[in-house]
Amino acid sequence: MIQAYPLAHALAAVLLLCAFALLSQRRLSAMITLYQSEALVLSAAAFWQGYAQGSDDLVLTGIITLSIKGVLLPMALRRIVHRFNLIRAVETVMPVGLSMILGVLLIGIAVKVVLPSTASAVTLTREDLAIALSVVLLGLLVMTTRRNALSQVIGFLSTENGLVLAAIGMPGMPFVAELSVALLVLAALLVVGVFVFQLREHSETLDLSGIEEIERRGR
Amino acid sequence: MSAAALAVLLPVLAAIGLGFAGTPLRGAYANLIVCAVVFLLTIGVFFSPGTGVVQADPLGMIFGLLGGFIALTTAISNIDFVRGEVENMSPGRWRVYHAMCQLMLGATLLGLYADNIGLLWGAVETATIAATLGVSLPRTASALEAAWKYFVLGGVGIALALFGTAVTYLAAQPALGPGLAGMSFAALSAHAGQLDGRLMTLAFVFLLFGYGTKAALVPLHGWLPDAYAEGPAPLTATLSGLLLNVALIAILRFRHLMQANVASGGDAMLPGPFLLTLGLASLLLTAFSLWGRRDSRRFFGFSSIEHSGIAAFAFGIGGGAAIFAGLLHMLLHTLIKSALFQALTRAAALRGGAAPGNFGFSHLRGLAATNRPLAWLLGACIFALTGLPPSGLFSSEFLIISQTIQRQPLLSLPLGLGLVVCAIAIIRLIGPLLFNPAPRRGMLPVKAGAGIGAAGVHLLVVLVLAFAMPPALVRMLSSIAGGLQ
Repeated sequence: MIQAYPLAHALAAVLLLCAFALLSQRRLSAMITLYQSEALVLSAAAFWQGYAQGSDDLVLTGIITLSIKGVLLPMALRRIVHRFNLIRAVETVMPVGLSMILGVLLIGIAVKVVLPSTASAVTLTREDLAIALSVVLLGLLVMTTRRNALSQVIGFLSTENGLVLAAIGMPGMPFVAELSVALLVLAALLVVGVFVFQLREHSETLDLSGIEEIERRGR
Repeated sequence: MSAAALAVLLPVLAAIGLGFAGTPLRGAYANLIVCAVVFLLTIGVFFSPGTGVVQADPLGMIFGLLGGFIALTTAISNIDFVRGEVENMSPGRWRVYHAMCQLMLGATLLGLYADNIGLLWGAVETATIAATLGVSLPRTASALEAAWKYFVLGGVGIALALFGTAVTYLAAQPALGPGLAGMSFAALSAHAGQLDGRLMTLAFVFLLFGYGTKAALVPLHGWLPDAYAEGPAPLTATLSGLLLNVALIAILRFRHLMQANVASGGDAMLPGPFLLTLGLASLLLTAFSLWGRRDSRRFFGFSSIEHSGIAAFAFGIGGGAAIFAGLLHMLLHTLIKSALFQALTRAAALRGGAAPGNFGFSHLRGLAATNRPLAWLLGACIFALTGLPPSGLFSSEFLIISQTIQRQPLLSLPLGLGLVVCAIAIIRLIGPLLFNPAPRRGMLPVKAGAGIGAAGVHLLVVLVLAFAMPPALVRMLSSIAGGLQ
């Protein structure tokens, strides 16, 4: 197990790097590429943990991650970008530099919170957990700093990668594959939701009755 | 197979069947039959709680029975709802609607019966998806917006809860080792003293915010009024009310782990202050938000936030009596609120359709002129919600206040203030809603049908539970509360 640390940590660190780069990226296509590389690294981490812990469950998680998050979801996202011509830079709530500083702070908080409280825990998971929490928080930060629905979804997907990273690092945790599939269903539905929204926004026969309805009724 | 596992599986299988075949009305009747069987199964759970990961404890049994009962009465009133609204949605969407009703029920029961924190999480996640699809069904822009809000907020909440779940498992490693035991509530609770306290604190914060989103505690409540107001009422208001209980019970169980850890000298933080803060915030925010609402479903959605907050507050006070009161409050509030939504939906249907636009107070007022029995029933439900005697909620709120005075005297002031302001905000509605002139002249009296009888039964059950609770149930609830204090 001792030999498992360096590679597991290296993979987690690359994942964190991608998540951080997501924060600075304002073009959707580049965000999708970053997400895709996150997913690829995550599947590699899952395979490695599966090998190190000798667990088929984790290998299965890796296969699911690779095929769906590494290939299918990015393809779907790219199609949405292409179809609705969303190539402009995304509007952000705050300057990118500021959100990156916040990102660094969040990573600091995650490390500060997790490392002391896991002093007695199994060491393989300690740093992994700190990195996973950082990825989760960074994803949430991406969600709050973007105005566009698709980039918020990408932020959520990144958060979800952090969660799976946390789960695969837990020694012998049951149901990891099932939980990651359940998360994937949620993520896939979010992507479908964005598609439906874009469709409504761009269609000629935009149905405004709902908005009038709200105006009439008041909140 | 145990009754508990069957009660979870049957609705899920039925959801698949209902999703692919049947006219809307047939779907409604099939829905009723399945709900009736599930109700019987939830009674059967008391005798066959199951083993392994789906293993109902007494707390799950009681709330499972409540869920089965409400699903049954909702399915009865649902038939009238479908009859009135059948033109407004395509047959395909009605199929999705009934499938989501069943999926919601199955997920709720799984969340209550599961003795596994991973399975609990999966159940809440499934219920979130079912509810979101339900809210989006009317396909109006406002419904889609509400569904999107629900999905994003619910998704973030679910994500946080999963992180908390994984960290809880890690905290259990020193005591329970790898494998299923580290995720079982029973095992975690038996070894609460040996859990890694600091990790549990980290986990609890995430779990509280995760499940707190589902329980609609302020500041995580944003999705609830919209979801209640925009979706088809039986699914998004009545059935998803059950989900609040699942989330609150999850919070209660994790709170117990923390409390037991502290009690046996662990490093965990006391969970009480977290819950007290969120609970009070929910109560006080609703006390202001209830004023000036024009849409009745949004209004009663805010009132659900209030009662969720009161239950969380009771759990925060801690001790057997307060937890007993909190659980009683949840039982009574769920019964009253579901009766209220059933009556409200019927009232709107009689006023020209139960589509989301027809729930404005100005649209519903003057009910007594058009349908006296329904008006009195609705009035009784709204009055019961205030918590003034002889409403059942009086007994639970009284217990909570007296426990607060004993244990945290200073907090009884904001608690009392919040309760009174909310009660006034609710009670001032009854007069105009019942006795003001109807919005249009010449509205003829209409028959409400026998379906609303179910809501009356709810109120009867509330009265029995509050003032003449069977001794067996009292013993059961007290032993649950004693075990979770």
